[in-house]
Amino acid sequence: MGLCLGLILLSLSQTSPAADERAQEVVSRVAQLFRSTSSIATVRMQISKQEGHRNLAMKIWSLGADNVLLRIDGPQEEAGTAVLKVGRDIWYYLPKAKRTVKLPPSMTMTSWMGSDFTVDDLVKESLLARDYAVTPFFEGERGGVAVYEYSLTPKPDAAVVWGRIIVQLYQVNMMPTWQGYYDEDGKLVREQTFSEYKMMGGRLIPTRIVMRAVDKPGEQTTIVFEDISFDVPISPDTFSPSNLKR
Amino acid sequence: MSRRLLQLAWRNLWRNPRRTSITMAAIALGYAMLLFVACLMEGLRQQMIENGTNLVSSQIQVHAPGYYPHRSLQKTLGGGRGTDVSALIGAVPADHRVYAATPRVYGQGLASAAHQPGGVALIGVSPEQERQVTVLHTHMVKGSYLNERMPKRIVMGDKLATTMGVGVGSEIALLAQAADGSMGDDLYEVAGTFHSGIEPLDRGLVLMSLSSLQELLHLAPGRIHEVAIKLHDTTEAVTVAETLEARLGKTLPVRVQAWPQLAPELAAYVQFNRSVTVILFFVFFLLAVMGIMNTMLMAVFERTRELGMLMSVGMRPVQVVGLVLAEATGLAVVSLVLGAALGAPLLWYLQAHGLEVGGAANEIAVAGVPVGHLWYGRQDFSAYSQAALGLAITAVVSALYPALRAAHYRPTEALRKA
Repeated sequence: MGLCLGLILLSLSQTSPAADERAQEVVSRVAQLFRSTSSIATVRMQISKQEGHRNLAMKIWSLGADNVLLRIDGPQEEAGTAVLKVGRDIWYYLPKAKRTVKLPPSMTMTSWMGSDFTVDDLVKESLLARDYAVTPFFEGERGGVAVYEYSLTPKPDAAVVWGRIIVQLYQVNMMPTWQGYYDEDGKLVREQTFSEYKMMGGRLIPTRIVMRAVDKPGEQTTIVFEDISFDVPISPDTFSPSNLKR
Repeated sequence: MSRRLLQLAWRNLWRNPRRTSITMAAIALGYAMLLFVACLMEGLRQQMIENGTNLVSSQIQVHAPGYYPHRSLQKTLGGGRGTDVSALIGAVPADHRVYAATPRVYGQGLASAAHQPGGVALIGVSPEQERQVTVLHTHMVKGSYLNERMPKRIVMGDKLATTMGVGVGSEIALLAQAADGSMGDDLYEVAGTFHSGIEPLDRGLVLMSLSSLQELLHLAPGRIHEVAIKLHDTTEAVTVAETLEARLGKTLPVRVQAWPQLAPELAAYVQFNRSVTVILFFVFFLLAVMGIMNTMLMAVFERTRELGMLMSVGMRPVQVVGLVLAEATGLAVVSLVLGAALGAPLLWYLQAHGLEVGGAANEIAVAGVPVGHLWYGRQDFSAYSQAALGLAITAVVSALYPALRAAHYRPTEALRKA
C-alpha cells in the first residue's frame, strides 16, 4: 500500500542486495503484512501545539504504490482540502479558492496542516529501498521487551534529508514500535511511536502513530486509524487532479 | 596679536600676488571639490537610506518581543488576543518627530496561477496609511495600488508576475499556513505590479489589504505583527525608537527597532561611505599642506633680510612666528571663502537637479538597495565646516615649519644675506 504515514517499512519490500540476509527477511515479512493493491482508510489526526489542539478527520485512498489521495472531512472549515499524489507529483486542492495546485518539491518537506507530519510523510512514498542501506543495529531487550533494531543510512548519492533512521520492531510479531530520525550529526530530530495494534481490515496493524519533534517539547501529532480496508476496488479516476474538486 | 601685525601679514600676502593667487586658487578649488563630494556623498547616503527604508521596510518597526527577525506567525502584538490596533496606531504619532504610522501583517504563502506555483512573502497593509509611510505605490508598473474598498486584490512584484505568467486582472490562488495551524487559501485578483529595484521584493512579494491577509491567515482583526513608522527626519530614527519603546512599553510589551538594526547592511554601507569621504578629505588636506608649506617657505626665504631687519629693530621671535602663521591663516581663510563662493552654485545645482550617473546604476544595488541613476546632493554642513576647519588647521600646521625657521634667524646673519 502506498499509505506511508511514516510507516517507512512498508516500502522496504525490495531491500538492497547488500543488506544483511536476516534484515531482508524481517523487512520483507513486515512489508508483506501491509502489502495490498489498494486501500481505503478512515483516520483521525490530533495535532497538539502550544497554540492549541486541533482534530482533523480524513480519508485516505491508495492504489498501488503510485496513487494516494487524502481528503479532510472535518472540521467544517477545513473540509474539502485534499492532497493527491500521482507518481512523483503532488497536488493540493484549495477548497475556498476551488483551485488545484501542483506543489513544488521544496514544499513537500514542510509541515502539513500545522502537524508534525510533512506532506512527504503523508503521501509520498519515500523510496527507502533505493535511497537507504539497511543494516542490523540491535537485537535484544529494550525495557523488558525483545526487539530488533535496524539502521537505515542513506546511500552516497541519495538526495534525502535524514542522516540516519533507526527502526525498532517487536521480535514477537514484527510490528514496528518506534522510529527515530537523526540528522547528519547523529542527533535525534524527531521520533515516531506506534501502539494500539489491532486487527483491522483483516490484518494486525498499529492503529496509533505519534510523531513528535525533539526540539518542540509538549507538541505532538497523533494519527489514529479508525477503519481500514485492503484490496478494495477503487477507480483510477479517483486519482485524477481534475477530480479533486468533488 | 596686535592689529599692526595682522596688517603686516595681510600686506605681505599680496607682495607676490601671483604666487598667492595661484595657491589660493588651488586651495579654493580643492575646497569647492570637497564641498561637492561631501554634498554628493551625503545625498547618496540619504538616498540609500530612503530607498532602503521607504519602499517597504520603513524607518522604525514596532513588534512583539521575539517576533523579529524570525517573524513567527503567532507572535502578534499583544500576543494571541491581539491589541486595539487603531488605538496603537493613534498613540504612535503623539511623538511629534513621527510623520506617520501604519499596521501590518506578514505571512508566507504559495501563489499559483496557470504555471508552476512558487513561494511568496505576503504583507497585509492598510492602503491609505501605508501610503504615508512607504512609497511603493509610486513604483507601480502596471495597474493600480491597493484600495481600501476593494479587498481580495493584490499587488505583486513585476518579476514575480512575469515568472507566474500573470498580469493585471489575473486570478491568483494563495495557499498559506494559517496562525491556527490549518491551511488558509483563497482567490485574489491582481490589481497591479510594481518594480522596486530590490530583487527579493520584485521576485517574491505580494501585498494585499490588512483584512484580507488576516482572513487568509486566520488572524483576528486585532492581531497585527508590526507597526511601521516614518519620521520627519531619518537621522533621529534610533533615538525615537528608544523613546517609543519606553512609552508604548507601558501598556503593551513591544520591541521597537530603527532601520540601522533592521537593515544592518545598509547601516554598514552608510558608515563605509562616511569613512571613504573622510579619507578623501585627508588626501586633500595632505595636498593642501604641501601647497601652503611651499608658499610660506618661499615667502620666508625671500624675506630673510627683511625679517632679520625687523628682528634687529626689536621684533621678538614669537612675533615672527605669529606673523608667518597669520599670513598662512589669511591665505587659508581667503581661499575658503573663495572656495565656498565657487562651490555654492555647484551645491545648489546638485541639490536641485542631481547628477546623472548613467542608467547602468539602476541595476546596481548596494546592501540590497538600488543605487539609482540620478544622485541628488544633500547639504551636509557639518562636513563643510569640518573640511573648512581641517583646512584652516592644515594651513597653520604647515606654516609652523617655515615660521619656526624664520624665528631662528640671527639678525646679523640674516642682514648679511643679499
